[in-house]
Amino acid sequence: MNTQSNDVSQSDQLTRRAMLGSVYSGLAAIGLSHLQAAEARGGTPRAYDAHSRHYFPKAERVLQIFCPGAASHIDLWEYKPELTKRHGQPLPGEGNFSSFQGKNGNLMRSPWPFVSCGESGKQISSMLPHMARHVDDIAFIHSMTSKSNTHGPGCIFMNTGHATEGFPSAGAWLSYALGSENENLPAYVAIPDLRGEPPNGKANWSNGFLPARHQGVMLSAQQSIRNLKTPSSVQDAEDEATREFLQELNQRHAIANPGNTDLYARIAAYELAARMQLSAPEVSDLSAESQSTHRTYGTDSTNKYLAGYAKNCLLARRLLERGVRYVNLYCAARASGVDGKLNWDAHKTLKADYERHCPIFDQPTAALLTDLNQRGLLDDTLVLWTTEFGRMPTHQQGTAGRDHNPDGFTCWMMGAGIQGGAVHGTTDDFGRRAIGTPTTVWDFYATVLHLVGLDHERVTYYHNGLNRRITDVHGELIHEILA
Amino acid sequence: MRAHNLLIFAIAFTTLFGGVAVDTFAAQSAAAENEAPTILQLTRDASLILATACLECHGSDPKGGLDLRTRASAMKGGHSGRAIVPGSGQDSLLLHRVRAHEMPPKHPLTKAQIASLKQWIEAGASFPKEPLNPFAVTSDRRAGYDWWSLQPLQEVSPPDAASIPPDWQQNTIDRFIHAKLQSEGLSPSPPASPRVLIRRATYDLTGLPPAPADVEKFVQDCEQETSEFNTVGPRTYESLINRLLASPHYGEHWGRHWLDIVRFGESNGFERNVIITNAWPFRDYVIRSFNEDKPFDQFIKEHLAGDVIAPGVPEVSVGTTFLVCGPYDNVGNQDPVQAAQIRADTIDEMIRATTSAFLGFTVGCSRCHDHKFDPISQRDYYRLYATFAGVQHGDRELSIEPDPDVAGRINSIKSKLVEIDRQLFRFEPIASTTDSSGRKNVVQRVRPAVNSRRNSERIIPTAARFLRFEVGATNSGEPCIDELEVFTVETGEGQSRNIASTPGTKLTSSGNYQGNPKHQLKHVNDGEHGNSQSWISNESGGGWVQLEFPQKVSVERIVWGRDREGEYSDRLPTEYSIKVSADGHEWQTVASSVDRIAYEGEASSNENPLAVGLEAQQNPIVVRQLESRRQLTQDLAELQKQLAPPRWWVGQFNQNDGPYHVFLGGSTQRKGDAVQPASLQLVDAPTAEFRLGSEAPEPQRRMALARWMTSADQPITPRVLANRLWHYHFGTGIVNTPSDFGFMGGRPSHPQLLDWLALELQRQNWRLKPMHKLLMLSQTYRQASTYRADAARIDGESRLLWRFPPRRLSAEEIRDSMLSIAGKLDIRQGGPGFRLFRYVQDNVATYYPLETHGPETYRRAVYHHNARAMHVDLMTDFDSPDCAFSTPRRAATTTPLQALSLLNHQFTIDMADFLAQRVRRRAEEDGSKPIELAFRFAFSRLPDENESRAANRLVEQHGLRALCRALLNANELIYLN
Repeated sequence: MNTQSNDVSQSDQLTRRAMLGSVYSGLAAIGLSHLQAAEARGGTPRAYDAHSRHYFPKAERVLQIFCPGAASHIDLWEYKPELTKRHGQPLPGEGNFSSFQGKNGNLMRSPWPFVSCGESGKQISSMLPHMARHVDDIAFIHSMTSKSNTHGPGCIFMNTGHATEGFPSAGAWLSYALGSENENLPAYVAIPDLRGEPPNGKANWSNGFLPARHQGVMLSAQQSIRNLKTPSSVQDAEDEATREFLQELNQRHAIANPGNTDLYARIAAYELAARMQLSAPEVSDLSAESQSTHRTYGTDSTNKYLAGYAKNCLLARRLLERGVRYVNLYCAARASGVDGKLNWDAHKTLKADYERHCPIFDQPTAALLTDLNQRGLLDDTLVLWTTEFGRMPTHQQGTAGRDHNPDGFTCWMMGAGIQGGAVHGTTDDFGRRAIGTPTTVWDFYATVLHLVGLDHERVTYYHNGLNRRITDVHGELIHEILA
Repeated sequence: MRAHNLLIFAIAFTTLFGGVAVDTFAAQSAAAENEAPTILQLTRDASLILATACLECHGSDPKGGLDLRTRASAMKGGHSGRAIVPGSGQDSLLLHRVRAHEMPPKHPLTKAQIASLKQWIEAGASFPKEPLNPFAVTSDRRAGYDWWSLQPLQEVSPPDAASIPPDWQQNTIDRFIHAKLQSEGLSPSPPASPRVLIRRATYDLTGLPPAPADVEKFVQDCEQETSEFNTVGPRTYESLINRLLASPHYGEHWGRHWLDIVRFGESNGFERNVIITNAWPFRDYVIRSFNEDKPFDQFIKEHLAGDVIAPGVPEVSVGTTFLVCGPYDNVGNQDPVQAAQIRADTIDEMIRATTSAFLGFTVGCSRCHDHKFDPISQRDYYRLYATFAGVQHGDRELSIEPDPDVAGRINSIKSKLVEIDRQLFRFEPIASTTDSSGRKNVVQRVRPAVNSRRNSERIIPTAARFLRFEVGATNSGEPCIDELEVFTVETGEGQSRNIASTPGTKLTSSGNYQGNPKHQLKHVNDGEHGNSQSWISNESGGGWVQLEFPQKVSVERIVWGRDREGEYSDRLPTEYSIKVSADGHEWQTVASSVDRIAYEGEASSNENPLAVGLEAQQNPIVVRQLESRRQLTQDLAELQKQLAPPRWWVGQFNQNDGPYHVFLGGSTQRKGDAVQPASLQLVDAPTAEFRLGSEAPEPQRRMALARWMTSADQPITPRVLANRLWHYHFGTGIVNTPSDFGFMGGRPSHPQLLDWLALELQRQNWRLKPMHKLLMLSQTYRQASTYRADAARIDGESRLLWRFPPRRLSAEEIRDSMLSIAGKLDIRQGGPGFRLFRYVQDNVATYYPLETHGPETYRRAVYHHNARAMHVDLMTDFDSPDCAFSTPRRAATTTPLQALSLLNHQFTIDMADFLAQRVRRRAEEDGSKPIELAFRFAFSRLPDENESRAANRLVEQHGLRALCRALLNANELIYLN
């Protein structure tokens, strides 16, 4: 963070430059550094020294795929032969226990067989044939646990390290800590699903108490950045002339009011906005991709949700390629009136629900991972697969679905700095609880931050009495999955 | 009560040692001065080291099993062995650990401290009688009871050095500020110009730009008063301040500040984030209280216990909305452990909101363990927990004194309505029935289609002991009936009365919807209308409900509806038949949907819900009666609104008798010591300290806390409030962390001034308007904001106020200004908020930002319906908070997204169009030049030559709208000097 004296000298310099140059000269160079200086000035006591890393980074950027609704670990990623064997019997030791929606029945096996994949032979659900190709490159964490068994708090806990609202999400922390790689695009993009926003909506990509410029900017194949387009009632020539006049007005004002770097920051922000108006449509233009790419991702699918998610996967790759620091990509949405229809929340009809969701997820995600790999992006991109919690090994009483299980579930990582094929932790024979040392969301993010070259204990921001961290006061590195 | 007047060390030591008598101790200590340290001195030194360096871990929740608070516990040692062996440093593990710098971790002791501990152990390691208290004194790692902000307010005499210029001698504030500037080698700036000052003051007090005419008048009046150009006249300025303080816009602007602090939000947040439509009365209450200059201690008390202070006055009771306007999880959880934790989270949210708003301490940090930085024990936290244990989120009907006149008028209208209905009934067509064989007659569809509000069935009077309503189809889902009324013939009069709800009537049904108390069988004849008291069957598109009367009656009419309040139109029976029976075996259909026009969706809500026959609707008598019915119904609704106790989002208060416990590690499943509702031990405020039994009446607990929060000898609340005032006027508080006066917060730049202001606030009976005036009339406030490099080198942020610090306008100020400049600001006050989002609710709520903002949204931003987790164009981008937490200071960030929304959102285009129209209109009226007018409206000044030239070029080529759009985006508009 800049000191005050730096600020002053910088602004002096800028004033001179502004007086010498015409409206546009030199502004590109001012760009982001100026926004940062402005932020530093409004900064808080004892804040983190942003924009410097603590370690040599393995990853430059992060893709976080989020399957909201609590995607079942024991039906997707973690094979439990004992569960199949004891199908229909009571869960030992817990009887008809109550969980989120009420009473649970007996053990229920997964409706589909698990299959061995890759060289490792790791078994995953046969419902994910495309993902099977990547299993050797994935490091699974089977001992995840959550503080909450409710979707909303669970989702924001998984995204912010806190189960209450108002905290910055992981992407916001990275934007704050590392800034942007590409000034013409937002540092942090959230891509909601065609079916809607995840539980707790925008709180999942919130900047929390961090400055507003660290918010996740919403963008998807279906919807461009808000207010990106010049309104149709304004002709291009009018728009250009208006901006030129505005910048001139602002320049004069800044010269008349020296010592206020914010004024220059705002001039720079208008320049950045103009560049974003050019870059964002370019990145969103999927027609630039080859037909075979489209086919591989599945954007041409007759299943509109699959096609929608596939387009978002393709968009995610284009964003990462252009240096967007953090992409938060969603596959499914909020809870609907009918359980399990809009997201992975299969309370009543697990089989039908997952036969709907798995194909939407499988092909596009696998294609995205392959594509990232082929383009060498996985060398410095960290991929995270997350969900808010797992599901019970039992069926919910009177249904063929599973209730929420915060005591054990699976997340995984892949790409930069990750030991492919590694498996960390496990749940018990049925998938009911993580055994041994449970892995927390804080451990997960301590590891993510480590991989991007940051010590999670030193990425802090003062807010209402504390130097806050994404890992709260916790967080241990998950060494087993590091390359 | 905890005594801790810690002004001198000896007394501090007393606290540390609890029971050691001061006099004995002080005497011995003094006598011992030039000699070898006495046992007492060694004990004193060692105790200080242990308390400040070791007890954080080796205290109440001892790590490694080692508790160093008392001699007995210390001698027991920990898991690793004997920590202290009296007389032997060599054998004491404690000494080894501190010497090896293993302990305390990360903060090794000094050589002198280690030597002291060694001497103390070798001399026998004696302890004071009372356990050591880690909170006793401040160290370099944490605050103790002697922390600056916990001390009583100090009466200080302001500096009166002769070197302070006469102008800066008059207002006490200026004397403090000037003295500090001088001591730092700084000098203040010259006074701001009239034009700058009126803009500054107007935004500061009202959040709006001054009207161009007001600016010109102010400039002229100043000139007249001072006979000088560009000099502010003190009397003119004072009357400006008086006028602004009296403006209703003052409360809107300062009320908005307060709404930030109390994290006021109008949706519940979390997963469901359902909109709350009856919390707005609190927003109006806040605005009203500011405008009335309600004493702030009263205001605070009303926040905690308005219902106790004025039980019959909704305008005061509404204060408790404060407790329940934060986010809370209402998804519902059948897992008892999780449910208990969620409840604890909900109370935690109230504790944090209360202590950060009024106390400026982060008491919430003591939820899992004693506070790491401030002297707040976990016990203190759970004392507040017990105090709030009976508070639940939700709305409540507020009691109100009924007006007998209104009640009388209501009764008279009601009897008129009965009479009209009786007359209209005669015109209703009789429902066709099935013939004796059960086969439907060929009937004409002459009766109106069913509607969700009210359907009337006129039948040939039929004797019945049983009446059954059978549903054959619905427009969606399981059928719902909010009320089923049955009218009988009464001899002679031709009058009828509803007998469905007479006592002794038996209710049965095919099956009932489960799990929602709103929908129960008993509601079908309880006389209560609306969805919240209704019956739903358990079968989609079918089901029946049956009445069995105590005796046979002669039925002539049946009236039913799905929701007579007109809110819901789903679940409507569209095919049905009504059957009666004398014995329960033989049934006869008396009315059904066969002769109704087929249902094709809901008719518009204005339509007459009375089922008068279609032909009859042309009849002049019917037309007249329907018209009077409509009028009377409208009058009735108006009157009932006056009489109805308001149902507002003020929380529900339930008695909860505990017992209450500390939750170890914050877990509801690990109960520690018992606690009672009681005041915090953080500060000495003996006059209002309280400790209540676990069974103390719920309201009494909150009232006790309210008194304690505002008692005259409790110094934190007035300090925090005085600092908030300073923060909003000058951009940064004397303490720059307005809600954190603890160890992690900032230190006061002018501690004496802060105390003086806090005392002045008390002297002014906690009224804010005199305080605003005091601050704003100061020379400090009236300085120019002109940058001076020399001063900036010493104090870049102008914390010491060598100039008035410029600031960016807030999100609300920006939007309000655009509306105001465009001449479109709708200044109506109060009432339900407008919405800049489209609200969609299924299982959860979604808020979609609007692409265009219509005239109904042209009100001040403070009246926006303030839901959580939504994106509002302009507002969110300019740092309007989401109110998940208290926001004691707004960020003022600069982002490209701001530029995009301010340039491209249709709102800006609309405002630019309106401004252009306004300019043209005025130019036509008075012949002014359009460009000059545009600059005056936007910036309250004329353009200079260069600006004129450039603006002219723009207008010539692209029209006036282009210029207006640029002006609305200009830095000059959104930065304030």
